[in-house]
Amino acid sequence: MERKWRKISGLIGLLLLNFMNNVSSLSLTITKVECVYEIVRSEGDIVSGNFVVVDHHIFWSSDHPGIDFSITSPGGDILHNLKGTSGDKFSFKAPRSGLYQFCFHNPLSTPETIALYIHIGHIPNEHNLAKNEHVDPINVKIAELREALEAVTTEQKYLKARDAVHRRTNESTKKRVIGYTVGEYILLTIASVLQVVYIRRLFSKSVGYNRI
Amino acid sequence: MILRSVLVLVLLVGVLFRASQSLRFDLQSGQTKCIAEDIKSNSMTVGKYHVVKPNEDHPLPDSHKLTVRVTSSYGNNFHSAEKVENGQFAFTATEQGDYMACFWAPEHSPPITVTVDFDWRTGVHTKDWTNVAKKGQVDAMELELKNLYDTIQSIHEEMFYLREREEEMQELNKATTSKMFWLSFLSLFLCLSVAGLQFWHLKTFFEKKKLI
Repeated sequence: MERKWRKISGLIGLLLLNFMNNVSSLSLTITKVECVYEIVRSEGDIVSGNFVVVDHHIFWSSDHPGIDFSITSPGGDILHNLKGTSGDKFSFKAPRSGLYQFCFHNPLSTPETIALYIHIGHIPNEHNLAKNEHVDPINVKIAELREALEAVTTEQKYLKARDAVHRRTNESTKKRVIGYTVGEYILLTIASVLQVVYIRRLFSKSVGYNRI
Repeated sequence: MILRSVLVLVLLVGVLFRASQSLRFDLQSGQTKCIAEDIKSNSMTVGKYHVVKPNEDHPLPDSHKLTVRVTSSYGNNFHSAEKVENGQFAFTATEQGDYMACFWAPEHSPPITVTVDFDWRTGVHTKDWTNVAKKGQVDAMELELKNLYDTIQSIHEEMFYLREREEEMQELNKATTSKMFWLSFLSLFLCLSVAGLQFWHLKTFFEKKKLI
């Protein structure tokens, strides 16, 4: 989401204030490697975000390696590298403008679903050095306020995604508890019936009068 | 996006509007990628997508055109387009749930990679400010503050939603523990009754056989 402010003061010139905010929230399915790209417009923008592995369910045994996540800057350096996670937050200041790469790597073959949220926030400086113009301090304050609200929104999306994962886990726990218990009862009954049948057979007449 | 910057140049009066800045991902030929987003009921959602041209001068070959489909989690189709280079969709979400936007690149004999630029906004971010054109900086600030107010409202609503979900989860956990409690008593009862039945049955059996 990008917002452009444009003002013409009289006939003299254009005063361009760029208040740019970018949000993208989505859920992806990863089979092997998936990369998502975002363009950061200016250097010094704060990129924050989070991701949660949604498919983290009962089949994810304790020796599952987890998902690897990495952020690459346009220059090729890896800014952030997380191995074997099931969800995390990240936040960094963009060292330069350009195309940033957010990559997920799934070491196993089962596809995993990930809920990702990225927010790129820009606060204009009081002196916009690139354009050598003076930015009204109140607009800077408004931009800071907006960024603070976006931080709250980012956190909320993270909490929502984690809540969804926990909900899934709890629902599957409930189903499993009931399923296994009922299965246990049936097995117990069958075992005891088989025991009785076996003992009866041991003592039946056709086997003979030999006591065992 | 080029059209929008032209629009910016043309409009000379103080205007507050939003251009799109979005996320990108790669599609191999013949591959389908789906992006899902959880949308609340009765909220507006707007999506724009276009193929990033590998070569700015030449027109896009057919091998780079996409097939797009936007469906809800209940299977209703909200937007579909075949063999297009760019497009957009907007609708009001009637049902709450996961909406999927699926992109499919056509088959091509040496597999090529198509870069898709996709911008999907829901709720408070969809408000199109291009229609609201006012002069002067104070009015632009007023619009920005109004936007902040809307953001705060949506944060507030989201908090209520999270609180509701947490309550539901608590109820779920309580139900699970009470079920486990009663089921353990039931299993104890079942065990004892099965053992008792076995005992009684074998006793009568042996007495009948005059072995006891």
